[in-house]
Amino acid sequence: MSRWLSLYAVAAYAFLHLPLAVLAVFSFNSSRVTAWESFSFTWYRAAFTDPQLSEATVNSFLIGAAATILATAIGTLCAYALWKRGSLPITSTLYLSMVTPEIVLGIALLALYQWMFRYLGLQLGLHTVILAHVMFCTAYVVTVVAARLRSIDASLEEAALDLGATDWQAFHRVTLPQLVPAIVSAALLVFITSFDDFVITSLVAGVDSETLPMVIYAMARKGFNPAVNAISTMIVLGLGVLILLSSRLERKP
Amino acid sequence: MNRRLFLMGLAGLAGCTRNTTARLNVFNWSEYVAPETIPGFEREFNVRVRYGVYESAEEMLARLMSGNSGWDVVFPPNYFIQPMVQLGLLASLDHSQLDHLNTLDPRFRKPHWDPDLRYGIPYMWGATGILHQSNIQPPFHAWADLWAPRVRNRITMLDDPSEVLGASLKSLGFSLNSQNPAELARAKDHAALQKPLLRAYVNEIVRDQLVAGELMAAQVWRSTAMRAIESAGPRLTFVYPREGYPLYADSIAVLKESKRRTIAHAFINYLTRPKVAARVSEVKLESTCNALARALLPATLRDHPVLYPDDATLDRGEWFAPLSGEAQKLRDRLWTEIKSS
Amino acid sequence: MNRLRFWCLAPATTLLAVLFLVPILIIAAYSLLSRGPYGGVMPPWTLENYTRLADPLYLSILWRTSLYSLAATAVCLLAGFPLAWFISRSGPRKSLFLALVIVPFWTSFLVRTYAWMFLLRDTGLINSTLQSLGLIHQPLPLLYTPFAVIVGLVYGYLPFMILPIYATLEKLDPSLLEASADLGARPITTMFQIVIPLARPGMLAGGVLVFISCLGAYLTPDLLGGGKTIMIGNLVQNQFTAARDWPFGAALSLLLMAVVMAMLMPVLRREKDGLL
Repeated sequence: MSRWLSLYAVAAYAFLHLPLAVLAVFSFNSSRVTAWESFSFTWYRAAFTDPQLSEATVNSFLIGAAATILATAIGTLCAYALWKRGSLPITSTLYLSMVTPEIVLGIALLALYQWMFRYLGLQLGLHTVILAHVMFCTAYVVTVVAARLRSIDASLEEAALDLGATDWQAFHRVTLPQLVPAIVSAALLVFITSFDDFVITSLVAGVDSETLPMVIYAMARKGFNPAVNAISTMIVLGLGVLILLSSRLERKP
Repeated sequence: MNRRLFLMGLAGLAGCTRNTTARLNVFNWSEYVAPETIPGFEREFNVRVRYGVYESAEEMLARLMSGNSGWDVVFPPNYFIQPMVQLGLLASLDHSQLDHLNTLDPRFRKPHWDPDLRYGIPYMWGATGILHQSNIQPPFHAWADLWAPRVRNRITMLDDPSEVLGASLKSLGFSLNSQNPAELARAKDHAALQKPLLRAYVNEIVRDQLVAGELMAAQVWRSTAMRAIESAGPRLTFVYPREGYPLYADSIAVLKESKRRTIAHAFINYLTRPKVAARVSEVKLESTCNALARALLPATLRDHPVLYPDDATLDRGEWFAPLSGEAQKLRDRLWTEIKSS
Repeated sequence: MNRLRFWCLAPATTLLAVLFLVPILIIAAYSLLSRGPYGGVMPPWTLENYTRLADPLYLSILWRTSLYSLAATAVCLLAGFPLAWFISRSGPRKSLFLALVIVPFWTSFLVRTYAWMFLLRDTGLINSTLQSLGLIHQPLPLLYTPFAVIVGLVYGYLPFMILPIYATLEKLDPSLLEASADLGARPITTMFQIVIPLARPGMLAGGVLVFISCLGAYLTPDLLGGGKTIMIGNLVQNQFTAARDWPFGAALSLLLMAVVMAMLMPVLRREKDGLL
């Protein structure tokens, strides 16, 4: 491989990682101002002892986990059905849901919830956030799983059917196992998207559903806050471990 | 992990956040109480408080508008009180449950936006002005100084249409709340004239840049200014512009949808206790509407010339007021024109 | 078969119908109503929100948004292609290099944008490094410029370009490259005659993804551009917040969605399978 290309890659990775590395370094700065003073864990302590932050973290994980399970299941089934026979209305609706600006989705969902709930006597809360996340994440799952399905040989299922398997058995025993890597990466994508969403979440969140990005947003708006750097550093490290594990999983045949 | 076990764990986690004690849901600006305010109330009244935050009054209104949001107590700015009353969102307060109304500063006992304090008890008040480097000569006195050629590329204005148009209107001698198309058009031209001099339209983030000395001056909310002065000391000076400036106050209000009115009143009562209010004001560096609370503050804050300016300065201020739909529409168009000029 | 297909589709269609189509219909209805005095909507029905869209002011914002997005997409393509090529040629460590592209994107978008403010400001890392090296004496105005907006957009959406290109490059048959070399083609010729034409679908998909994401951006122009320019995303956002003009915001959103769909359609038609 040419040396120039490697050099370029180093520069490109520096571009991608340097800004965050700087943030991470400054999360260990003892001072709030942007000049370096001395090494300290002050901001990590601040982040850990803030009750609002820990509650928001629990909420974010709950929402992320629930949205991941639901969206992955719904999206995978949908991709499988579309692979069997395409459907233009469903495909275009999925596209549309991906390209709609977040603020519009947020306002539209808020309007829907407010209308429905007025008659049902319900309130905004964790469930409304989870439903919203499932909605905008399903299209991503369909995209990822469909890409994998396209490289799968359909004659395998036909063979299974010829040998007397039911439709469900053919799906469950033959096709689904081949989809596992795609489903894992789709689930990861959903979790990350859900975990990071601010715009839609902040609009449909209710009394008990403040999420981590909402707290981070409130803190970051006030200026550079090393506690925000500390939280971000921990999130990147935590999710980094997660993806390393999942890429191990994927490499297995 | 076993799938069922995992789901059970999830359910368990969800269960942790439920609690059997009484509760109160408070919807407020972020960090608008002292760290010990809420825990103190929870201990004393054996109540669990849910403190949720909004980043703008508009966001707050959008989420409350349907009347089934689940929140009990909210902190609307003065110019949102009448609109919210008209939308049927605010409950009438029961003054017999409020013990500390006589501690209010006389200026807030009969505010023009809610003369009988029927819908909200004034909490803290703020203003908008100019924060500048103290060593700049000649110093800044007026909004008009932010139009002088010397400031080129070294000032910022707030990213907020009513603030930018407000400063423009004030420096032209008009009211902050003008709804007159001709005046507004002149204010827009004036603001567009200033735009090439500006570094940016930014809000609270400007604090770091002023403290670091990157900027000469900025239009700022007073709370931002106080935070900046807290870290930079006398290097920065806040001025109330000569032509007049915006004033605003946040009130504590109870939502009509709330089914926990009694405990909500207890919460207002708690926040208006001079000791509690003083602590909030001290930590948040904002001016309290509570005269007794002010008296309890450390002397440096109690007589702080920026937090509690003299009467002559105060008289120059003008309260933000609600605007008609037509005026809002026009102002938004003008703001878009300024932004894309 | 049809029964299984039906039950597989049922959850997704219900979800999309109730939580996407109905809300979008509500927005469409909003766009035909009048502005409520405090936000929200009220009668009478009107087309005014659509006639307002033809105003040169709003068209110029749409035009500027397209220019910025196009610039950011071009930079992403130029910067992303070599990196995708590098990853696809990097043998066993491929998945590590790929993960390194994705990792930065787990930090919240807001925090990533703040990271750039931290680097670009007058006393930021870039200016202070240049100054201590004696290369400049006055800090360069980097933050709050169109340059900063483009950097922010590129940083925000670069993986959207890299991943699809990588996907097509990875499928490239290595024997094609060997054959080309054996026939005496220089690497650069192979690149332009063979690799780039074959990577076209990935480049197209990446380009569309980046361009669409840029069209809807609003935090970047606000924070890195210092609010001195507005893109269509800011305009939409502003209608639902400060301006409290939901009907006009709804009309603008539908316009934005129509523009995006119009751009997507030719690409979808060209790619037989589409992205799905």
